[in-house]
This record gives sequence, structure tokens and C-alpha cells, in this order.
Amino acid sequence: MEEEKYDILDSIPDLDNLKSFTDRYFSKRYIIDFNQIKNNDIMIMFHSNRIALLSLAPSHFFFKKQEEYKINFSAGKIDRLNNAVKGKSKKGGQYLVPNSVICKVEYADGTSFDIPCGMKGTLIEVNEELIEHPELLKDMPDADGFIAVILSSIAISEATKNELLTHEEYLEALKSCESSHVE
Amino acid sequence: MIERSIIRLCKDLGCCDACCVRYLGLKNPSSYENVHQFVQKYLDKDTNSQSQTLGNEGHADPDPNLLKETSADRDNSPVDINTAQPNNGASESQTIDTKTEVDVGTSSIPPAKRMKMDDVCVTCLGILQEKTWPEAFAMVQDVLEKKRYECETIACALSSPIAAILRERAVSLHLEQACPGYEQKSLMPLKEAWKWLFGRKLADIVGKRLDSGAVAPLLVTLNVEYPDDGQELEVVRALAPALFESRSKQRRRFSVEFTRRSVEQALGGATAGAMAAAGWRAPPRPAARARPVSAAAWHAPLLLGGRYVKLSRALPQTPWLVAGRRMMHSSVQEIIFEPVAAAYGLSPEEGEQRLKLISAGREDVDVRCLGTGRPFALEIADPRRTPDAEELQRVCERISAERKVIVRTLMPITREDLTLLKQGEQTKCKTYEALCVKLGADGAPATVTPLDLANINAYRNTPEGDAARVRLLQRTPLRVLHRRPLHARRRALLALHARAVPRRPALFALRVRAEAGTYVKEWAHGELRRTRPALADALGARADILALDVADVDLPWPPNQ
Ligand SMILES: [Zn+2]
Repeated sequence: MEEEKYDILDSIPDLDNLKSFTDRYFSKRYIIDFNQIKNNDIMIMFHSNRIALLSLAPSHFFFKKQEEYKINFSAGKIDRLNNAVKGKSKKGGQYLVPNSVICKVEYADGTSFDIPCGMKGTLIEVNEELIEHPELLKDMPDADGFIAVILSSIAISEATKNELLTHEEYLEALKSCESSHVE
Repeated sequence: MIERSIIRLCKDLGCCDACCVRYLGLKNPSSYENVHQFVQKYLDKDTNSQSQTLGNEGHADPDPNLLKETSADRDNSPVDINTAQPNNGASESQTIDTKTEVDVGTSSIPPAKRMKMDDVCVTCLGILQEKTWPEAFAMVQDVLEKKRYECETIACALSSPIAAILRERAVSLHLEQACPGYEQKSLMPLKEAWKWLFGRKLADIVGKRLDSGAVAPLLVTLNVEYPDDGQELEVVRALAPALFESRSKQRRRFSVEFTRRSVEQALGGATAGAMAAAGWRAPPRPAARARPVSAAAWHAPLLLGGRYVKLSRALPQTPWLVAGRRMMHSSVQEIIFEPVAAAYGLSPEEGEQRLKLISAGREDVDVRCLGTGRPFALEIADPRRTPDAEELQRVCERISAERKVIVRTLMPITREDLTLLKQGEQTKCKTYEALCVKLGADGAPATVTPLDLANINAYRNTPEGDAARVRLLQRTPLRVLHRRPLHARRRALLALHARAVPRRPALFALRVRAEAGTYVKEWAHGELRRTRPALADALGARADILALDVADVDLPWPPNQ
């Protein structure tokens, strides 16, 4: 059998179309004005395997405010830092509904807002990096600044994905909001 | 002479010649070569001695029926089976086939000679009687014809009716009473006698050599059923009512009331008296003979060892199904299976069921496996033939023809060798080649400087002298988290070297040697900080991975290469 030389350098992709880690493996969905709060916009990134990542949408009012803040996972009724899952079936994970608050963003000026999870599922883990590095939430909201990992059933994952706004629909919705503002 | 009385008693009860020899306790296969002659020899003596004493004792044995039975036993006429199940059309036609297909050297004997129920042995229910065999031979031949084994030896096994155990026991108890000095435990088991009697003839017919199941890889199993099994076993219930009551109470544990075990247990302490009280002074004439209902053939599995090189970045190791739909049109497994199945005489469909790929780990769909390749083994269940080394080489060529997967050699391995493979998966290191990109704060590609490369090549988070350069903590990757428990595992990189990529300023290539179980992709992109530290910590800037190859799997395999 003739031997050919294979090398990692024969696999250089087109660098103009580089995708980030979350863009490679997740599809992004959006909820705007959650609970009728203006620009309380969240983004959920769905993996094909039912895993979802919760983060803030770029249009969230959080990104407009310049003020020191901290992230508190123990502010709601249930302490999210106590979440623990066991085994393949993730037994013991906290049960979530769309209104469940995952954490609170607390500003130095004493104001705060809640971040809801926006979907049904089981809480797998929260991003504890945000406690030490709250700046990640602002700097890398769709990457290292994600808020939580949620697992749901195939049915819920698919239904939620279909129900929420796709990236195009989200951009469209933002545009119509702005134009209605102007009028 | 005890042998003579045993044979006489057996004959009086209605045993066939073979069973007579069994009750004599003869275990030597040669004793079963001609059971009729053997038994006749004793009976002739018997007749002579009785003729001599005739008149003195005032009774004129031998029983004429007895002699008739022996002669019926001796002839080899094919059976016209009109016995137990007259409405079983399938069996009827099977019988006709038997006559046309099975040549047992009986063409001179007139057909349509019916086996009378009187002729069915009270112990073996006909299983050891030649005239019941053609039907079974035909069934076995049918199976062998379909499967076309090239194997030259054959072993056979019998699944016999449970009532035969009861009947055997009844005869034994009778002999014990009537014949002082008879020992029950000396009985030659039905299955063993059957192997020598039926098996020898079967081997001749199918043109193979009979051997024991421990030696011959090809095993034929004949399943014989007796229509009155259930009814007769009621006697056993009468013998041990408590046992069967407790079994029926635990229905969930014992779904079947009469099993070989439970019947043997119930008969364990049975006495002739208890048998008689249950209505069995002697085993009754069988109402029908036991009949073969199915035959199966199975060749012991064979194992092959080899290594595969995977050259495609769009090829999963096994068919990749999402909600029952396949995501890629082929897989390493399918590419390997088809030529292997053909070499072992299996159709592609059979191959899917009979072949099993056992590998030392797996790579992702988009990861190539280069170098000497990934060690794997194949288990081929029920192979029809065994290819030689030269043929195996041609199999390798066929696997490699499309150049998606390359297998250089395949060789037979043992089951013990598989342990090496499985241990290797958990303990052996792998070397990877990774193509990476340096990213600026904005996420866009950034130029890699000589200092960046030097940083990576000098990086370690362990003390000097530690075998590991980098010790890391990895959470279960998100891509497998849905099916694996969430853990943070400690893993190690043993070697790490970066080099520049010509004409691509933002890229660099890494050679990484990692402990078994390390998720290298996740280390390279950091997976949202779920792996710490990550490549970014060594580089001092954000980084991502563009392509990954397994360069070497550190396991000597196949073992005898
Ligand atoms: Zn018999």
C-alpha cells in the first residue's frame, strides 16, 4: 500500500469565516422584554444534545449602564450555588421554569435586577467564574460570560427553540421597537 | 450375571436397545457403535438358557413382544411419521423431504413402514432410536445448507424433553428394586449417548467429523419436544407438592413450573414406593414419540486485531444517529465491516448483526487518526468460514480502497488480548497534532509572535521534574454532558510543543501528548473556562482550535505483531 503523508497543515480552513466556540456548536434564540420589562432581553444558546446556555442578549439594558456590579447567585428564593447533580440522569438538579431567577446583578448604587432563565429544565451548573470575574458578563456575554447550563428534554428543547426568536427575528424585532420609539 | 438381568428388565419395561446399554452403565463411546448386536448377544444367551430350563420352571418366556421389539429396533427403515400431531402439516411435508434428501442407506427397505407407538422407547421417548432420526437429520441439514459452514468438525447438543428425566428415574428405581446390586448413578446420560449414536451418523450425513463441543467450534443444537411433557410431569408435582407450591407462589421468580432443575430436585429423594403411590409403578408406554422441533447451528466467534487510520474529517467511528436519523452516510465501522463480513461468509446484513467493533477509545467525527492508527478488535459471531492471512490482507486492501479508512494488517487474536485493548484505552497516552489560532481581545485572528511560541514551549504549571507539564481540571464537556455525569476531572499534558505555520501569521501548530481521557479540544479552546488552565494560559492570549489529528496511540497492538 502506498503511503501518503498527512499533516495537520493540510487542514487549514478559510480564516474569513471563523466561528466562535458557541457559534460552532449552539443555535442562539432570544426573548425580548421578558416579563414586560423593556430590554430585559435574554439569549439562550441550544446545543443539539438538549444542553442550553443562558446569557444576556446584546440588547439587554445591562449593557448601557456604566456602574460597578456584582453577581449574586444566592439572591433568589433558592441558592443556585447549592445546585448539585448526580449521575448520568442529573438527579437532584434544581427544577426551573421560565420565571425562575438564576442570579441577581447588584450595582454599587444599590439598584439591582434579576436574570430569569426563560425556559423549563434542570439546572446543571451556574458559571461561578462570574463571582470572581463579573466583568465577563459584560465583555463576553455569548462566551465565557454565560450564566448557567440548563438541560431539558428533547421535546422541551425543540419546542422552546421553535417558540423563541431566531437571530434574524430578533434583529427584526429590535428594529421595529426602535422605529416605534421614534414615532 | 447382572448385565443380563438389567437388559431383561429394561426390555420388559419397553426400553430401546440403546437405553439398555445406558442402564448397563457403559460410558465408552465404542459400546454405542452397535447397540442392537450388543443387546441381542445377551438376549440370545438368555433365550438359550431359558430354552434349556423350559419345562422345569413351567413358564415359557421369552416374551415374543420383546423379541419383536428388538428386531424393530434393529431395522433402519425411515419413519413415516403419522404419530403425535396429525394436524401438523409442516412436519408432514418435512418428513417427505427427509425421505428425498437424507440417504441413510435405507433405499432397499420398503417405505411407508409405520413406527408403532409400541415401539417407542419408554425412557428416551424415541430419541435414541434410529428410525426417528431422519426428520432431525433433515432439520439439521436444512440449517447447515442455509449457513454453509466450511468448518470440518462438528459437535452436537440435545435439548431433550423434561419427561425423559422422570422416565429415566422411574426405570432406575425399578431396576434398583428388581435387581440387587444395580447402581443408579452408573447410568449413561441421555445426551451423551445421543451424541455418540445420533451425532456420529449426523456427522457422516453432513460430511463433517464429529468432535466434542470443547473442541469443535461448530455446534449443532437439536431441540426435541414431547407432546405429553406437561401432563406427565404432574407426577413430579405429586412427588414434591411443597416444592411446586412454593414455586407457584413465587411466580415472578419461577415463571416456568417444571424446569430441568426443579424436576431433578423433586426427583432427588423419590423412592419406588412414592413413585408407585403417584401412579407410576413403571413408566407408562408413551402416547407419542418425542419429535425434533427445531435445529440451530452456531460457530464459536472469532477475533481479529488491527489498527485503523481515519483520514476523513466527516466520518464517525460508528453510525451516528440522532432521533433514529443518520447524520453521516458512512462510518469507520461500516467501512471495515463489509469486506470482513464477506471474508467470513456473511452477507452485509448479517455482518451488521454478527460483527462487533471493539476499539481503544474513539475520536470525534471531525478528528483524523493518523500515524499507526487506533487499535481495534473485531468480534465475528457465527462465522461461516475462516479466511487465511492472505485473504485477510485482501480484506485490508478492500477496506482501504476508498482511502477514508486505512487498515494495514488484520490478524487473529485471543479473547485475553481484548483486556489489553480495554486497559490501553484507560491507561495509555495519546499524541495529538492541533492547528490553532491566536485571537485578539475582539475575537479576530491575531499575529503569533516568536515570543508567543516561546511562551507555550516554556509553559508549565507543575514543578520542574514532574512528569506532567500541565495539570488541568476539566469539567465534563458540554457536548457529552447530556449522557455523562458532571464531574471535574484531573488530567495531564505530558508534552506540549508549538511551532509556527508558514504563511499563516495567526496560526500555530501544536504537538500535545496527553494522558488517557484528556479532552484536548476543550483544553485548546478552554470551553468557556470549564477547562482550567487552557491553551490561552500558556499563550497569554485568547486562542481557539481549528483542526485536530490523533498522531499516535501509545499501545503495542495487535499483541503478537
Ligand atoms: Zn431409549
